[in-house]
Amino acid sequence: MAGSALRRLMAEYKQLTMDPPEGIAAGPISEDNFFEWEALIAGPEGTCFEGGVFPARLIFPPDYPLSPPKMKFTCDMFHPNIFADGRVCISILHAPGDDPMGYELSAERWSPVQSVEKILLSVVSMLAEPNDESGANVDAAIMWRERREEFNSIAQRLVRKTLGLTT
Amino acid sequence: MQLLISSVCMALTSAVIGNAYYQKQQFYPAVVYITKSNASMAVIYIQFFVIVFMFGKLLRKIFLGTLRAAEFEHLLERFWYALTETCLAFTVFRDDFNPRFVALFTVLLFLKSFHWLAEERVDFMERSPVLGWLFHIRVGSLLTMLGVLDYVLLMHAYNSTLVRGPTVQLVFGFEYAILLTVIASTAIKYVLHAAEMRTDTPWENKAVFLLYTELVIGLIKVVLYLLFVVIMAKIYALPMFVFRPMFFTIRNFRKAFNDVIMSRRAIRNMNTLYPDATPEELRQSDNICIICREDMVNHAKKLPCGHIFHTTCLRSWFQRQQTCPTCRLNILRAPAVNSAALQRPVDEAANPAAPVVAQPAAAAAGVNNIPGATAAPPTAGAGTDLPMSVPNPMGQLPRNGVAPTFADIFGDANALPNLAGMPPPPMLSPFMMQPPFPYFSPPSVPPPPMPLDIDRFSDEELLAMEGTQRKHIEERLKMLRNIMLMLDSSTILMQQYQSMMARLPQPTEAKPTSNVITADEKASALLAASATTASSSIPTAYDKPTTSRAASETSLQGAQQVKRATAEKVIIEDLGAEEDADLPITATITKTELEEKIVAGADADDVEESSELSELRMRRLKYLQERNHSPTDRD
Repeated sequence: MAGSALRRLMAEYKQLTMDPPEGIAAGPISEDNFFEWEALIAGPEGTCFEGGVFPARLIFPPDYPLSPPKMKFTCDMFHPNIFADGRVCISILHAPGDDPMGYELSAERWSPVQSVEKILLSVVSMLAEPNDESGANVDAAIMWRERREEFNSIAQRLVRKTLGLTT
Repeated sequence: MQLLISSVCMALTSAVIGNAYYQKQQFYPAVVYITKSNASMAVIYIQFFVIVFMFGKLLRKIFLGTLRAAEFEHLLERFWYALTETCLAFTVFRDDFNPRFVALFTVLLFLKSFHWLAEERVDFMERSPVLGWLFHIRVGSLLTMLGVLDYVLLMHAYNSTLVRGPTVQLVFGFEYAILLTVIASTAIKYVLHAAEMRTDTPWENKAVFLLYTELVIGLIKVVLYLLFVVIMAKIYALPMFVFRPMFFTIRNFRKAFNDVIMSRRAIRNMNTLYPDATPEELRQSDNICIICREDMVNHAKKLPCGHIFHTTCLRSWFQRQQTCPTCRLNILRAPAVNSAALQRPVDEAANPAAPVVAQPAAAAAGVNNIPGATAAPPTAGAGTDLPMSVPNPMGQLPRNGVAPTFADIFGDANALPNLAGMPPPPMLSPFMMQPPFPYFSPPSVPPPPMPLDIDRFSDEELLAMEGTQRKHIEERLKMLRNIMLMLDSSTILMQQYQSMMARLPQPTEAKPTSNVITADEKASALLAASATTASSSIPTAYDKPTTSRAASETSLQGAQQVKRATAEKVIIEDLGAEEDADLPITATITKTELEEKIVAGADADDVEESSELSELRMRRLKYLQERNHSPTDRD
């Protein structure tokens, strides 16, 4: 019998494969290592990220699901809640103990009942509705708040880039 | 790159040796020539390091195969730290700095890196889906070899220190002792992991064993480090180079210590506070532990909030956080009472913005004075939460925990006897005092002790209420008195709602306001519905909660009426039926009955007392059912 973290990840992988939520695909990069996943997230419809397919990487800790995984977009992203290096900053990925931004409710934090699917769905809704108060990328947050057209055009450029279309 | 360096090194070495032979022609003079020339010796030393490196690669290939990226990264990182520390150590022993000394440190570093790799490998065991026999052979032989080498080198250092007094061997002896502890803990982990792999079911106590291993090894390490620092400080100088590892060791030890304490506390709570989930409860839930996503066959525990998890999953979570993983109810603060289940906080999915556990204790303390004191809900502070936060509790009530016994229910109710005599208005003042949060913390009063499903009463208990003997009648009286209590508390509730209404602005002014009013009306409608009985006589305003203010006022007036009625008392000469006329009991069915009569609009005089009693019984049953169904209806 393998470790509990591994079994849980396998169960989640199975569930995600059998019944994939719309606009989301995720699975381990290699079957040898279930603790590193690749996820593909479709930009939510009706937003400036519509049409894009954004690859991201999920790194799970050995004590998953007691600790949250880390998530990082592997493509260029310009979004108020995504750091310049691609790390995603949402409360569901933060353990209840630490509060990097000092504003998150404990109800929104990580708990073992969360799952990869919930994380990815949260990321989709984060793409649709940025939280300009947390500000992982301050430039993006300001632009999103004050110069929405410019933000949208940057987002559209990123969308085209993820699709391999260069303009 | 590596190939290039090693080939360049090879070429340089052969050039040096060739040059020496070319100049001296003979073996011995050539050796002397090389050792005398600094440049040649430098080349030879570099060659020596290259050979060590290649030897290390060879061993790695044999014992570990290819390294994973993470392993390599960690190895490199630790290696650089260790190298820096070694350089620091050189400064302490600068007097006896010689090639032999450097060689000894090289061997130490070499062995250390294999210890790290072995550790990583064993940690990886738990995360890898399939492990062949090759893995076990490799890890087993590597651990044995490292252990033996550590021991031999430790004994060597010990003996040389005994013979020659404290030298640099002291450092080595100490370092190898530390490495031996590392090997010991790695081996224990390996055995535990391997043992778990052999079984098909998860091994529940493994985490505890690992925890204690960590604690003991941590303690040994800390003692070793402290001893070493003291000895070194006495003989040489403060050993700066062990401060970093010592700091980490102490930190790890502290963490292990805390973990053990938390784990023990969690286990204790688990064993004492939370009941085992019964098979029916498991069947009624979806039978999957949401932490590990596996079936719960046995060893499942139910938290006060009604959520069920594996015992082991809960334990490992409680080591970190003392909250319910699903609803984040703070399990340490919540009393483990059955009725606590009624106050189930909103699941974050249902209402993510609701302040779930964030209410100050003060609010809860104030609430405690009121009927359901035993069940002071942690979320009760959120006023608007109260009516909304009962989406499921009633439906799930039957499977919530140990079925409360008859005695429990009455115990709850009887615990507050003075409530009936207490004039309601004074009760208001503590609540009026605290309006810090305009709309969200208005006094929210937990409902009176929840009457339970009739199904839950055992046959004897039902019999006790049905019979004709004196004790039966006493039981009936008890029951009625409880109903009275509940009605009294409802009156208090209504009072509070009324006072709140008085403070509220017009419903159209702000969204939260209307929200609160709707909530009030719902509550009052619920109360009214519970106070009245025959649905035919319920005023239409109570049939469905409307948002109009008039309706709520009607209900409030109704409550006032009820209150006024409580002042009177009705003496019933003969409580029981005709057949127990031989028992002349003067029972005081007070307010309860009168209220019910008034609200129902029935003329008390026309009704025969005996039939009245049976009607009361019927009402009671209806009332119970209503209580149990109404929340789901409202949803």
